Amino acid sequence: MAIHEKSLIEPERLLHHDKLVVDGVDVSGHWNTMITPRTLTAYDEDFEARIRSIPGGENVHRCWQCGSCTNSCTMYAQNVQFNPRYWIYAVRLGLKDEIIKDRDIIWQCVSCNKCTHICPRDVRPEGVMKALGHWLEEEGYTRKSPSTIFDEAFADQVMDTGRMEDAHLIVTFFRRTGQSLFQGWLRVFGGRLMRHMPVGMGLRMGGHLLHAPRTRSWGKTRDVLRQYIQEQKQEHKQEQKEAAHG
Amino acid sequence: MQDTVLIVGSGPAGLSAAAQVTGAGRRAVLVEKEDTLGGAPILSGYAKLVPSGEWARDAIGRMVQRVEEDPGVSVHKGTRVTRLDGEAGDFTAELDNGQKVQAGAVVLATGFTHFDPVNKPEWGFGTFPDVITTTQMEQMVANGRITCPSDGRTPERVAILLCVGSRDRQIGREWCSKICCTVSTNLAMEIKELSPETEVFIYYMDIRTFGLYEDRFYWTSQEEFQTRFVKARIAEVTASGDGRLLLKGEDTLVKRPIVIPFDLVVHAVGMDPNQDNPEISRVFGVDLEKHGYLQRAEHYTNPCGTSRPGIYACGAAYGPETIDDSISQGAAAGCRAAADLQPHGRKAG
Repeated sequence: MAIHEKSLIEPERLLHHDKLVVDGVDVSGHWNTMITPRTLTAYDEDFEARIRSIPGGENVHRCWQCGSCTNSCTMYAQNVQFNPRYWIYAVRLGLKDEIIKDRDIIWQCVSCNKCTHICPRDVRPEGVMKALGHWLEEEGYTRKSPSTIFDEAFADQVMDTGRMEDAHLIVTFFRRTGQSLFQGWLRVFGGRLMRHMPVGMGLRMGGHLLHAPRTRSWGKTRDVLRQYIQEQKQEHKQEQKEAAHG
Repeated sequence: MQDTVLIVGSGPAGLSAAAQVTGAGRRAVLVEKEDTLGGAPILSGYAKLVPSGEWARDAIGRMVQRVEEDPGVSVHKGTRVTRLDGEAGDFTAELDNGQKVQAGAVVLATGFTHFDPVNKPEWGFGTFPDVITTTQMEQMVANGRITCPSDGRTPERVAILLCVGSRDRQIGREWCSKICCTVSTNLAMEIKELSPETEVFIYYMDIRTFGLYEDRFYWTSQEEFQTRFVKARIAEVTASGDGRLLLKGEDTLVKRPIVIPFDLVVHAVGMDPNQDNPEISRVFGVDLEKHGYLQRAEHYTNPCGTSRPGIYACGAAYGPETIDDSISQGAAAGCRAAADLQPHGRKAG
């Protein structure tokens, strides 16, 4: 039977096959709409311990699902998808996929700590939200926001050349975010810029776009900077580790 | 005037009543249908008791010893009362060993019967060897080893199902058995102590670890022993094909079906009215309430009473009861019955 109300099914559970043969029967076309089952068939028993090892998540195992956290939550009032009670339950049973599914929402916690103050079992849900954010980040589940991508493009360019070129940065950012270079506003902006900019400056800018200039003797400074950043990262990791075990 | 109280049943309530009767300077006749004194904790081989944490054989054993060494108590084991004549202050009981007992008052400490989970066949008891009851788990804990009955392996994962034979209109059990939540959390901790690698999950509708049992059993099992609590009423227990069991149901909080493999499934069986209650009601001429337990008298001024003057009751004969409260009620009923023997004492009710 064809499924008429696909809107009721979460999009990620709808499987599409243009051509499909099952047991020798051709079920191509609208016969082939298939849905992945919702049944939970396993618990990841180690997940709770993993979250407890991240600062903030220590008390997650105490939760008894009263819902006080969600009830008091500032974000829940804005967005009912933001449900700390539910995520805590998912952590306790090791339903990792449920956490990953909401990776774009969990970080919205504003740390007002109403949940932490109201929790009758001292679970400290605000800390759990932080721990989940860290876990998503560490496991690489957090998607980069456009502003993060912009920051990276900026930092990369400075790291490479010791300086920053507007046009180069914009082009890199658009390329990395998969955006077209020929956007309406950019065309208008470019046109007006050309009209008012001295010719020499325009030519230089175009040239820099083709061949990015570097700050003189940048190589040595860059190496020192890179090493410093590397050390800082290492130190931060170590601190996190110690906090988790201490 | 009689100086004897007839006590029927030698569980925690009956043993407690007998000790109070002789403590008040009266004689007690204790009639027990089984060949062993001690009632359910001894007959069913309970492990450590809630809330004392003492082994049942030690704690209840002390109560048995106290009564057995008491010259004021005459004990009839393997014996039933077949007939009771007379009225408050002057009863005559006939025992099935042919003896007659003259008594001024009677205390019914006749207890309960464990729910038999074959009456919930969808949960697999009697079908799969690795589906057991809390009583059997108590025995396993008392023997110091947690294993799957099918092949003796140590279970990686144990599920305890609450409300088996309780809070279920389908099978005519419209009561909460009161003790199973606490007993189950206690068992979860005992399992973890004996077999630290075993993960324990408790499937619940509500958790009713009432009073001071809350933090001591529920919270501690969760916080210190990592017991996982899952809000789900199980629909069915089936075999998975690899020798494990599959637990099927709906996780209420996730709103999703679950099919989870387990090595051992434990039914937290409830407390049924004593299966002999119809006979007890007929022999002693006392009413049963609608669930099949003994009917209480008006409670405020006749707290240990039944529907018949001079006949008192205590403990799980009235309804699901804890061991500690059964002991307290037994003491109260023993005192009340002994008071009936005073020539100038005020009568109950």
